[in-house]
Amino acid sequence: MEQTLSELEAQALSEKAAFGGDAHIVCDNLVRIYKTEGVEVVALQGLDLLIDKGELVAIVGASGSGKSTLLNVLSGLDIPTAGVAKVGGMDLLSMTARDRLRYRREVVGFIWQQTARNLLPYLTARENVELPLKLAGRSGRAQRSAYLLELLGVDYCADRKPDQMSGGEQQRVAIAVALANSPTLVLADEPTGELDSETSAEVFDALRKANKELGVTVVIVTHDPLVSEQVDRTIGIRDGRTSSETVRSSGGHAQEYAVLDRVGRLQLPRDFTNALNMERRVRLELESDHIGVWPASPSEETGE
Amino acid sequence: MNSGVLARVHAGAVAVLALLTLSATLLVSGLPRAMNGAFDDALSRKLDSVTAREVDLSVRFQPGSGNGLGMRDRSAFEQRDRLVRSELPRPLSAIVRPPGSGTSHMSLRTLAAPVMGAPDKYLDMGWMSDAAQRIEWVGGAPPGPPRASGGMTLVEIGVTQHAVEKMGLALGSEYVVGATKPLRLKVTGVFKAKQPDSAYWTHHPDMLRAAVSVKPGTTSDEFRYTALIADASVSTLADTDRQVVYSWILGLDTAAVSSLRVGELLTALQDYRRDLGLIEPSWGSFRLDSLLGERLTEFRTELATAETILFLVLGGLLLVALGVIVLAAQLLLERMDQALALMRARGGALATVVRTGLAPIALSTVPAALAGYALSYLVPGPATPIVHIAPLLVLLTVLAFSAVMMASAHRTPLHERRGDVVSPKPSPRRITLEILVIGLALGGAYLLRTRGVTTEVSEQGQDPFLLLVPMALTVAAALITLRCYPYPLRLVVRLAARRRPAVPFLGLTRAARAKAFSVLPVLILLPALGVSVFASMMATGLDSTQKLAAWQRVGVPIKLTTELEFSAEAIERVREVAGVQEVLPAQTGIVQLGLGAQRFPVLAVDLAGFARIAEGSPVPLPAQPAGQGIPALVSKELKGVTKLDIGWQTRMTLTPAGELAAMPGFFSSGKFAVVPYDANERAGTRVAPNVLLVKGAANAQALLAATGVATQIQTYDQIYSEIADDPLTSVIRTTLLVATIAMAVYACVAVIVSLVISAADRADALSFLRTLGLSTGQAQRLTVLEVSPLILITALVGLGLGLALPSALGPGVDLSAYAGDVAVGAYEVDLLTPILLAAGLTLVAILGALVHTIITRRRTLGSVLRVGD
Repeated sequence: MEQTLSELEAQALSEKAAFGGDAHIVCDNLVRIYKTEGVEVVALQGLDLLIDKGELVAIVGASGSGKSTLLNVLSGLDIPTAGVAKVGGMDLLSMTARDRLRYRREVVGFIWQQTARNLLPYLTARENVELPLKLAGRSGRAQRSAYLLELLGVDYCADRKPDQMSGGEQQRVAIAVALANSPTLVLADEPTGELDSETSAEVFDALRKANKELGVTVVIVTHDPLVSEQVDRTIGIRDGRTSSETVRSSGGHAQEYAVLDRVGRLQLPRDFTNALNMERRVRLELESDHIGVWPASPSEETGE
Repeated sequence: MNSGVLARVHAGAVAVLALLTLSATLLVSGLPRAMNGAFDDALSRKLDSVTAREVDLSVRFQPGSGNGLGMRDRSAFEQRDRLVRSELPRPLSAIVRPPGSGTSHMSLRTLAAPVMGAPDKYLDMGWMSDAAQRIEWVGGAPPGPPRASGGMTLVEIGVTQHAVEKMGLALGSEYVVGATKPLRLKVTGVFKAKQPDSAYWTHHPDMLRAAVSVKPGTTSDEFRYTALIADASVSTLADTDRQVVYSWILGLDTAAVSSLRVGELLTALQDYRRDLGLIEPSWGSFRLDSLLGERLTEFRTELATAETILFLVLGGLLLVALGVIVLAAQLLLERMDQALALMRARGGALATVVRTGLAPIALSTVPAALAGYALSYLVPGPATPIVHIAPLLVLLTVLAFSAVMMASAHRTPLHERRGDVVSPKPSPRRITLEILVIGLALGGAYLLRTRGVTTEVSEQGQDPFLLLVPMALTVAAALITLRCYPYPLRLVVRLAARRRPAVPFLGLTRAARAKAFSVLPVLILLPALGVSVFASMMATGLDSTQKLAAWQRVGVPIKLTTELEFSAEAIERVREVAGVQEVLPAQTGIVQLGLGAQRFPVLAVDLAGFARIAEGSPVPLPAQPAGQGIPALVSKELKGVTKLDIGWQTRMTLTPAGELAAMPGFFSSGKFAVVPYDANERAGTRVAPNVLLVKGAANAQALLAATGVATQIQTYDQIYSEIADDPLTSVIRTTLLVATIAMAVYACVAVIVSLVISAADRADALSFLRTLGLSTGQAQRLTVLEVSPLILITALVGLGLGLALPSALGPGVDLSAYAGDVAVGAYEVDLLTPILLAAGLTLVAILGALVHTIITRRRTLGSVLRVGD
């Protein structure tokens, strides 16, 4: 049926629901290109991501897939080249330096993989937790640091320096540091990368505690696929794009999904395509409740 | 974060920074102080070394015929004294002594009053305001007031024993002096000076001794003496037509003359000379009789050269010190980087981060700079503006550098650049800047060559732009070195790549990638080497120049002179003194030219023997002329005469057979002649040797004892040490030495600090290679190979620069002012010291690298590889 001009105008003027709606983190077609002396490295190639407030999400991917770049963008430490990146409604692309500073002070906290990078070796745990509070010029530092250390079960380490603590204790103190300014979002880059599985569990417990008790959104970046057992949702990244999602149901069962982007693109898992020797082209068939994907037959491959 | 914590945690780096700041501020504010103090000392020693008569301000008044100043008594003199002092410009009034102290006094004397009946005698009258303090009476009675006697005024006079002996002025004798209004003089007393050798008496030598000179046109002598009169006799001379000169001596306080105010003093002297001329009426005027201006001008010429050399060296030192301090600050910044990056990431504002990082730097540099500045007050010398400015400059540079570095590093919170992706290319902006610096340096060098750095320095002061040229040249050389050094290295790398061993290839490849060594150490090493090579060349140049001057002055190792004669036995005894290798007799004398009053000195010596005695002397000696009669080598002033008729022991005729500019040890200017040793014999009389030229190293006392007559001794060593002890020379020498040592130390510190800064990167790379099978020994060789090419190339360029600097400075480095008034041409270039210096520095730097690898070997592979992975 042909549309009249007035109908088209009305359609153009009608407000569409924005992508992501009221999600806490919205990334739409996010691009980050590193450019040095004429050579370009595309770290994020149009990544889409939605994370709701209070979620505990893991982002997994192989080395070089762009997950750390995504985390740096979300933490306000790096500025994306193009696309949309919003956290709590704040546009990370159009922030001024002052806004960015305020964002780091009030909205986000983060934890790096290396314990040495999270904590200053010559300050005690308490002093380390108080540092961001001091930088933001907040009062009530002693109470806040005592509360956080106790919440994360490391109050006995308050007067210890990092070298007097175990790796797990150090990372839990690092979580306390990240939570110091009451952020709404905590980003963790391989927080358990240097830890054994038992200590890793302790750290995840601490992150979960922060997530549940303080209502903080937690995004964990890791290349450990087993992390999906510890979080609500696991987002896979491949070649700078989100490729899959694994959602853990309330019963503990995890179901992996492929990600369908806004223009209908879908990344098929490499295992699947390899197993069926899918290359270049596939055949799709719409059924009543699903879409079937078949490898192209040899005759189709040669174009006969 | 508490800055004290940061400072405490990085105590090592803070201490290094503090120590370097302390030493640099002490050097840059202490050395100019010491320099100016030594300049002042040199000036007062120079002024002390000439007679008070030359440098005191003597204001004279000689009334025209038929007039007088009406100076009847002491109070009239005192009134005029106040007048001439009131006219003194402020700079001069500060350096003259008040009336009655030092050599300040008043005097008068008559001029050339012939003694009636004795045509060869002149007896003048003189009066000194402070005669009572300066003399004591040894015979007769002090002269009394004048009185009438036989229709004339009788003035009583006092004389010295010398005058009594030379002129026969016996006690009680009377003389009539003066052609027009004659006066009768009566000798009533004999006096002697209390301190005849004091500077005071240089104003009145004519009162101490009778002067004897040849009467023009005759061979006979004439005598002149100035006798002392009483205060009461002054009025007798006031209204006569006698020629009288009144003098007000304003004694110079040499210690109060500052080298910094020489220019002011010269202007003040000119002003004073002019103002004095305006005081009195036209029939006579006050005039200033002083050579202070000439002496100050001479000093200013010497000072200009000294200042040029020292400013250049100090400028280099300042540059190097700044570089090293900045490098140490960089070390501290690297150490604090992680904490600051974390602060910035956790929400620290840029200003907060910079403030936090700056605090430990300020905490270490500010007290250190203050301490260095305070310590510089222990160095004697006046505080010129540079003394205050230099420490401030050091402090501001290090703080500004640190602040800018931190601000640019933490401007964006994430400073993990993808440096692994590509090797950085130089930005066009940087290349343009470098080309500009090189262009400016070359342009400046051209100007320097054409104008010279000391052109009219004495009038206009140092040209700051031209003084900066050597520094700009150094920086330009450093930039060219940094840009170009990888190219020759890459050729070597290509060769190394074809060989089997991997270490040379890897080491040289890393070196050629220029990542191992940052820009800063080259910018420090190069000026340090360049300027210290320049300094050592100046020092050796000065030394050889002074040796030359000493040879010029004494001629032979030991010279014995007597006013009498050395007998054959005495010569034999001298020959037998221990240490004496050879003795050559010679004869000197003042001879009369023709029958006139002109006299000039002559030396009779065997020049071949002289050359043997003076073996090792750099001063060339002429060959003895051969010929009939008495062939003589004569000075320029005597040239052009075919025969020289002279009167020595007898009349003789010299035949000029060649020209001689100077005779080392004897004559350097004016009229003189050198004749064969037996000249007197050839003229028909005998040779009476009064000079012995001695080769060897003998005891002076033994030599003097062996001669048996009153003898003066002059040795090369003694003269050399006299020249070398010249205050201005020793200040140059000391400053050059201190600067050279300081720069050598700074260069080593620069190498070591930069090794420490790049240690983590290098350790990572080495550990990685070690996992691939690199042995410990190979790792050490790799580091040395990585670090040494740039050090070697820098050392070579620095050496070349240092050697080229003196010629780039052209006439700016004229050392002849320090060679004891002897004209010196090009000085010898001693290559050994600079080459040793450069080689030593290179060796120390490379050894540092080696020690560093040995220390890093202690780290376990695991710990190194874990970090940052």
